[in-house]
Amino acid sequence: MHHTAPVRVIIIGLGEVGRHVARTLSAEHHDVTIIDADPKRVEAAQGELDALVMTGNGASPKVLRELGAGKADLLCAVTQSDEVNVIAALAANQLGAGQTVARVRDSEYFGDDDAFARDAMGIDFVVNPERATADDLAESILVPGAVHVEHFVDGVVSVAEVILTNRSPLLGKSIGERRIVRPSFVFGLIRDGRAVAAEPGHRPKVGDHLLVASAREDIAPVVAHLAGYAQRVRDLVIFGGGRVGLPLAKRLEREKGLHVTLMERDGDRAREVAEQLTRTTVLHEEGVSKEVLLAHGVDRAGAFVACAGDDRANLLAALHARQLGAGLSLAVVSREEFTPLVDALGIDAAFSPRLVTAEAILRAVRGPNVHGMYLLSGGAEVVEVQTAMGCRGAGQTVEDANANAATHIAAIVRGGRVIVPRGSERLAGGDRLVVFNTRSGAAGLRKVFSAAA
Amino acid sequence: MRLARGRVGPNLNWQLIVPIISGTLLAVGLGMLVCAAQALVGGDGATMAFAGPAAVVIPLAAVGVASARRLPSMPLRARDGFLAVTLAWLAAAVVGGVPFLLHGTFERPLDALFESMSGFTTTGATLIRVIEGEPDAILLWRSLSQWIGGVGIVVLVVAIAPATGLATQRVFYAETSGVTAERLTPRIAETAKIIWGLYLVVTTTAVLAFLLVGMGLFDAVNHGFTTVATGGFSTRTASLAAFNSIGVEIVALVFMVISGVNFAFYWRALRGNGIWPQAAEVRAYVLILLGGTAVVTASLVVSEEPGSFAQTLHDAGFTVTSIITSGGFITTDFDQWNDFARGFLLLLMFVGGCAGSTAGGLKVIRVLLLAKSAGQEVQRQLRPKAVQVLRTRGRIYTEELRRGVLGFFAIYMTVTAVGTMAMLATGLDMISAFSSVAATLNVVGLGLGEIGATDNFEAISGPGRAILTVTMLAGRLEVFTVLVLLTPAFWRPNVA
Repeated sequence: MHHTAPVRVIIIGLGEVGRHVARTLSAEHHDVTIIDADPKRVEAAQGELDALVMTGNGASPKVLRELGAGKADLLCAVTQSDEVNVIAALAANQLGAGQTVARVRDSEYFGDDDAFARDAMGIDFVVNPERATADDLAESILVPGAVHVEHFVDGVVSVAEVILTNRSPLLGKSIGERRIVRPSFVFGLIRDGRAVAAEPGHRPKVGDHLLVASAREDIAPVVAHLAGYAQRVRDLVIFGGGRVGLPLAKRLEREKGLHVTLMERDGDRAREVAEQLTRTTVLHEEGVSKEVLLAHGVDRAGAFVACAGDDRANLLAALHARQLGAGLSLAVVSREEFTPLVDALGIDAAFSPRLVTAEAILRAVRGPNVHGMYLLSGGAEVVEVQTAMGCRGAGQTVEDANANAATHIAAIVRGGRVIVPRGSERLAGGDRLVVFNTRSGAAGLRKVFSAAA
Repeated sequence: MRLARGRVGPNLNWQLIVPIISGTLLAVGLGMLVCAAQALVGGDGATMAFAGPAAVVIPLAAVGVASARRLPSMPLRARDGFLAVTLAWLAAAVVGGVPFLLHGTFERPLDALFESMSGFTTTGATLIRVIEGEPDAILLWRSLSQWIGGVGIVVLVVAIAPATGLATQRVFYAETSGVTAERLTPRIAETAKIIWGLYLVVTTTAVLAFLLVGMGLFDAVNHGFTTVATGGFSTRTASLAAFNSIGVEIVALVFMVISGVNFAFYWRALRGNGIWPQAAEVRAYVLILLGGTAVVTASLVVSEEPGSFAQTLHDAGFTVTSIITSGGFITTDFDQWNDFARGFLLLLMFVGGCAGSTAGGLKVIRVLLLAKSAGQEVQRQLRPKAVQVLRTRGRIYTEELRRGVLGFFAIYMTVTAVGTMAMLATGLDMISAFSSVAATLNVVGLGLGEIGATDNFEAISGPGRAILTVTMLAGRLEVFTVLVLLTPAFWRPNVA
């Protein structure tokens, strides 16, 4: 059995993102070297990670040379400092590293202009965790009923995560019995934080998350049908005008028929935010009590997003909003240990900047045949793969391919058209697939869909 | 040092105030020299009225200006700036009034000061009954004083004598207040040069345009000066109406509109960058001009004013422009219009032109910000926690600026009220008293009632003339600069 050669990865910065990426990549048998300036962190991580963990300044060309950055396939600079990350990526690029990724949180540096970073500075990816999180939040607010929407295959296919409420017409029926309004495929189900492949016989319950794929133009009606309501969000309340809240408000205040209210606890920041927003109502509000939220109309809001800097405050605010009757209650939760609380508190969905960053970085390492990906809280993922000509998967039926690769094909794109993957459908070389993996790891995918070495 | 103890009065920086006043007087002196030459060529007997004062002022001023070069560059504090600017304008008006006395245009010094102040502040209110009766040199002096005062005497001084270095900033900002002052270049003297350069170009164009529509050279030069300065002095008693030429009126209209905009805006537009901060104000200015014309025209049509619709539209448009830009020219006796139209014109006087232009009034940007602030205040009753940002497209105004604008409005209204009461005390009727203050504080120069469109300011009594002389200066320097001099704190020592 052939295995793709392990990739040599250097990660600079032992923060949550650095650790998460290191853990994921080393689990896939890549060579991971991770460096951080803080000896205490290094010591703590040494027992935890199956990787070479070292102390040092990752932005120093001397250190980078000693680490062998010139021979690395990928360098991820994910320290807390934007400047260090940029310098490290620039230096690594000069030394001859394959791909460079830098986490840059301050949008003053590149803003929306990734091309400048890539072409003029030679940084392959600039990841802004908060901005990417804001984009994800915006999607789930704009497609009502879905808590996550992700686009694959150059935006042709959309995958949505839908939470079943007691309004859903699907309740009491099995997935196989659902009425199909538009070509779509329900391929996964998350219950109690565990992701499983959806079988036609499954009977969804209230609180289950369904994963559905369809052509992009069909996703809104498909989601509306599954969720049982097609109400557009007209009033949005954002709690926290930080690095997530501000770009989110900026993005959504442009939408017609959507009024955005943003609450910020710090007076100076509130003013700063208000200066950058033109149509949003910005409130300087220190409390997050139920009374305060009620005073600002959270009970009538179509959606509530808690994205202040503090996970606990976010969870509390989202919980209050949920109980007051906000249509959709979303929270940004950075630390992994809080994730189980999200379902327990009845919050519709949590967004983690760390996961978003990891997703973007891992996309870079998956190689040319794997394009988009989407990490779920349970460790499952949806990825995009291209069926190479002459690979094992070509010619097989969907059923066989699923069995061989231990995956679930959610959608097929052939010649720009989206095909619903029935079991008997035969795959062809050049097909682009959206694949659901219940556990992380791309080994099976490579085996089946990459051209034989 | 011990010497400082026991001193009374503010610790003023005369070493820098004197050169600024001297620079101003040098400009005034040179202007007089031009008029003396005109009198010599025209042979109208006014030569000595100008040559005499010029001979005294120019050498003295030159010494004062030269003294600046030898002194160390000391910082000029805000207080010095206010005093320097106010004194510079006062000195210009006092010296500028001397030729009127020497020639015998006026017998009373106060009248000469009034006429001169009306000139430099570009108000355009006059005490001369028959303007055609005065020699050309006197007429040219009136026009020239308006032109010198147009975009600011101190700006001129800064442009031609930048020796005072850092200190000039204070002076520059004292002459043009908060929302107005801005730099186009890193060096303030460069900015002043650019503004005066543009002013010169626009003036030359205006003179050529007047020539083109058939005006004589002397009339064209005079009206070019006073139109671009939006002053309103004319060489005829009947103002522009005397020319009875639609061409002349249109040229005046166009250049008044042009001059009601900050010259810095044109500079930015020419350079093709960053006009947005001012575009909002210019847009509002144009809308107010158009809207004002529409309202007045409609009112005149409804009240069945005689004349064709085209004539009515033209009269309304010209008068509204003349009032808003503080141009102060007249083509028709608007004092005969209905009360709504007259009241509306009074209101427009307070709006004025764009900040940093030659126009007077509250200035469009302040009116815009006042309206926005008022709207936000109403909103705040509903949502007390909302963070409100005062903005126009491309620019955000700090809360300090908001306070400044609100405070300015309060003071402006207070000065109007106090001024009106004072004018009533001199025996004027209500409309004349209010409009005389409105006409001078907003440097329009046109009033209603006894000082109506076709009247001069002779109906005003002696004390009234003194009051209006002060309101003209206060209006031109945007009130604060003059007002701080009247506070006790200003004269206390060691206040920075």
